[in-house]
Amino acid sequence: MKLTRREVLKSAAAASAFMALNGTLPDLAGAAPGEPDKWVKAVCRFCGTGCGVMIGVKNGKVVTVKGDPNNHNQGFICLKGAELPSIVNATKSRVTRPYIRKNGQLEPASWDEAMDLVVSKFKAAIKEHGPTSVAYYGSGQALTEESYLANKIWKAGLRCNNVEGNPRLCMASAVGGYYTSFGKDEPIGCYEDIDAATCFFIIGANMSECHPILFKRVAARKQADPNVKIIVVDPRKTNTARIADIHVSFKPGTDLAILNAMAYVIIDEELDNPRFYNKYVNFMTNDKKKVDFKAYQKFLQDYTPEKAEKISGVPADTIRKIAKIFAESSATMSLWTMGLNQRIRGVWANNLTTNLHLLTGHLGKPGATNFSLTGQPNACGGVRDTGSLCHLLPAGRMIKKAKDRAALEKQWGLKPGTIAPKPGLHTIALWNAFSEGKIKAMFVLCTNPAQSLPNVNMYTEGMKRKDNFMVLSEPFMDAETVKYCDVLLPAAFWCEKRGVYGCTERRYSLLMKAIEPIGECRPDVDILLDFAKRMGVDPKVIPFNNVDDIWDEWREVSSATPYNFKGMTRKRQEKESGIRWPCPTEDHPGTCHRYVRGEDPNIPKDYKNKMWFYGTKDGKARLWMRPYAPAAEEPDAKYPMVLTTGRVIDHWHTGTMTMKSPVLRRSFPNAYVEVNIDDAKKHGIKNGDNVLLETRRDKMIFQAKVSDVCRPGLVFVPWFDKNLIINKLTLNAFDKGSKQPEYKICAVRIKKA
Amino acid sequence: MISSTRRENMVQAKTGWIILVAISLVFWVSLSWAGQIKHLVAPDSAADCYACHKKATPIIAENWYESKHGVILVKCFVCHGQPDGQGSVPWAVSPDPKIVCTKCHDPAIKRMKAKFGLAPKCYTCHPFHQNSLHHRAYSKSQSKK
Repeated sequence: MKLTRREVLKSAAAASAFMALNGTLPDLAGAAPGEPDKWVKAVCRFCGTGCGVMIGVKNGKVVTVKGDPNNHNQGFICLKGAELPSIVNATKSRVTRPYIRKNGQLEPASWDEAMDLVVSKFKAAIKEHGPTSVAYYGSGQALTEESYLANKIWKAGLRCNNVEGNPRLCMASAVGGYYTSFGKDEPIGCYEDIDAATCFFIIGANMSECHPILFKRVAARKQADPNVKIIVVDPRKTNTARIADIHVSFKPGTDLAILNAMAYVIIDEELDNPRFYNKYVNFMTNDKKKVDFKAYQKFLQDYTPEKAEKISGVPADTIRKIAKIFAESSATMSLWTMGLNQRIRGVWANNLTTNLHLLTGHLGKPGATNFSLTGQPNACGGVRDTGSLCHLLPAGRMIKKAKDRAALEKQWGLKPGTIAPKPGLHTIALWNAFSEGKIKAMFVLCTNPAQSLPNVNMYTEGMKRKDNFMVLSEPFMDAETVKYCDVLLPAAFWCEKRGVYGCTERRYSLLMKAIEPIGECRPDVDILLDFAKRMGVDPKVIPFNNVDDIWDEWREVSSATPYNFKGMTRKRQEKESGIRWPCPTEDHPGTCHRYVRGEDPNIPKDYKNKMWFYGTKDGKARLWMRPYAPAAEEPDAKYPMVLTTGRVIDHWHTGTMTMKSPVLRRSFPNAYVEVNIDDAKKHGIKNGDNVLLETRRDKMIFQAKVSDVCRPGLVFVPWFDKNLIINKLTLNAFDKGSKQPEYKICAVRIKKA
Repeated sequence: MISSTRRENMVQAKTGWIILVAISLVFWVSLSWAGQIKHLVAPDSAADCYACHKKATPIIAENWYESKHGVILVKCFVCHGQPDGQGSVPWAVSPDPKIVCTKCHDPAIKRMKAKFGLAPKCYTCHPFHQNSLHHRAYSKSQSKK
């Protein structure tokens, strides 16, 4: 055999590559250094996507994490999820024992001392000022059992409806949107719709940074079929727009006009679906009167694409184009989040997006759905579904409805009339009342309001008062709210306890306990049970010994409602990686599409129509005629630009967790201001310059990032940085329906500092 | 009896193998060295790798940016760790698949193993930077040939 020089070199290269690639590393099947002793099933601690994770534990410590292959994320996790071990192991920054504030300083205390003080303050407030003088402020990050328990302690045990939480700040408008359109909360579709959609209408959502694994799924769909269309409607050209066929930038706050104009085009071009809306839809005026299709057409005359162009700055042709793509696709999925929700017209913006689906019939079939993304891992399952807000009761019931109160009282074994008929104070009203000293005692759990409330200076001033009392259950010592609390309780963190998270697609997954709580930390369920006992709440009302007892009661309560998830037993949850409700029996697989015959167990199999919107009296969805209305604080001569806030992929909420990871901290060590190139030129600002941002509430200096992400006239600041709290500048005006504040728009002026 | 042509061939083959082993050694040494490459100190923004690397190693940075990992913002530190070892995975130019790739691709690795067996490094066939969402580069990867 004769080898040429070329052949010798070729085989040498191949062999060297083989040797280099094979010779240095052990086989993948072998044990890696630090290989965990066990893998524990859980759900990621961050966004509302709710990715399943497997926590690798060795010698009682979390050593690694990987995606759960059996959950919806199919094994994938984002960069924040991958950093969970470094956050769990940041034990030096943990609150490990109770503290009581004395002479302005937090001083160590025993559990008994701390809880006795808490209970004495709550009892004194109730005795002197009645049950409405106390409150609970919870979280979309608390476990379902924690929120359910707190809700029951307050509403049934203390007869106080002042039960609120940070989900009011992130998805209350979506609740209002679903409720007004369908009579029941929560999305109709599921994540599998992403795999079947042929058009994605992403509005007011930066999925790439806020819901990375769902964005990956959308990108994969586009990769699999290049004919799939993606429309991104956002005043910022974010990373999400990278995969878009069309990015539509518009004057912030004018999307209501764009959505109405799209409806106009759909009807004008005869792309509507009368067969669908004639059967399943009522047309409603803004003042709740039922009208006919002609009245709707007349309403839309104010929203021709040309008129909408004048309002929004979006060319009429672009509006026509996206309306056609939306309607002509075989299955359109719209996705939205805070861009629509955090607005004084948030419910309207939700309704107008849903209108497009009702008009075209893109609903109730694979890939065709209106899908609100949520921001926190358990805002849906924990707070929305358990009714842990001031106007709600568990499983979609309303406090103001006597029938709903009576039904729950019966289920909870309470005397009729126990639940107070008047809804409590919503988040902004509650913190206003606390700041005015009208709420005397507040229990804050698993959230950081001193950084996350809008126009936050107002509320931190209130927290400093001597005549009100705040107890905070918090895992991290450097959380901003720790500075203001009167008692600090050491909460067990994420994988140190057991309970359920329910994500955006109605999927409930069990998080198993992976490690023991550090120091004197206790799970919030234990803290709340202790609180109820010391408060003297009737043990028949709070009969629970552990977290599993609470889950079993909640399952039972749900079974009398369309939320029914009685089939999700603990045994089943331990085995499976998340199940979607409704799920009435143990052999039920869970539900992909609600309101669809054959899929939704609430609809009889022989029901006459394919769909039934059973949340409304006549079984029809509602298409709302919502007009365009401007933001609460439009730019003017004094404050000529718009300030908007949001997330970066590396950080989550107030950064108490992500800032513990060295790489995430270094990736974005500080908040910054994103300025458009033209605006930067106008103000003589260069990349990296200090820029003064000033609103009517406060001013602050940020380093500039000059780019084309923001449109001219708009600046963006992320809100994770506790040293540069942008919420000192934001506005606390809120939606009249949902009571959700308008974080996304306020007037600002900028200059080089 | 071995013919002269055959003997000639054997000598040539022997020479070939010597060259082959020598080149292998050079490749292996250079690869090992590359794995321990020193990095400039960049304390406060060490995790914003892309900001510097789009100037320092523009082709690699651009490859990542255009890759699937780039589009979905799986940033450099997720797989390569941090130069000072502060990352949650070890600092490595060539990541250890057992520590890194398995975090997300464990199901695919198991499927691959069951079907075809495994190469020790996933990216021998699935280049993690060149695997592009755009330009159909994915369909051109070695695994698809």
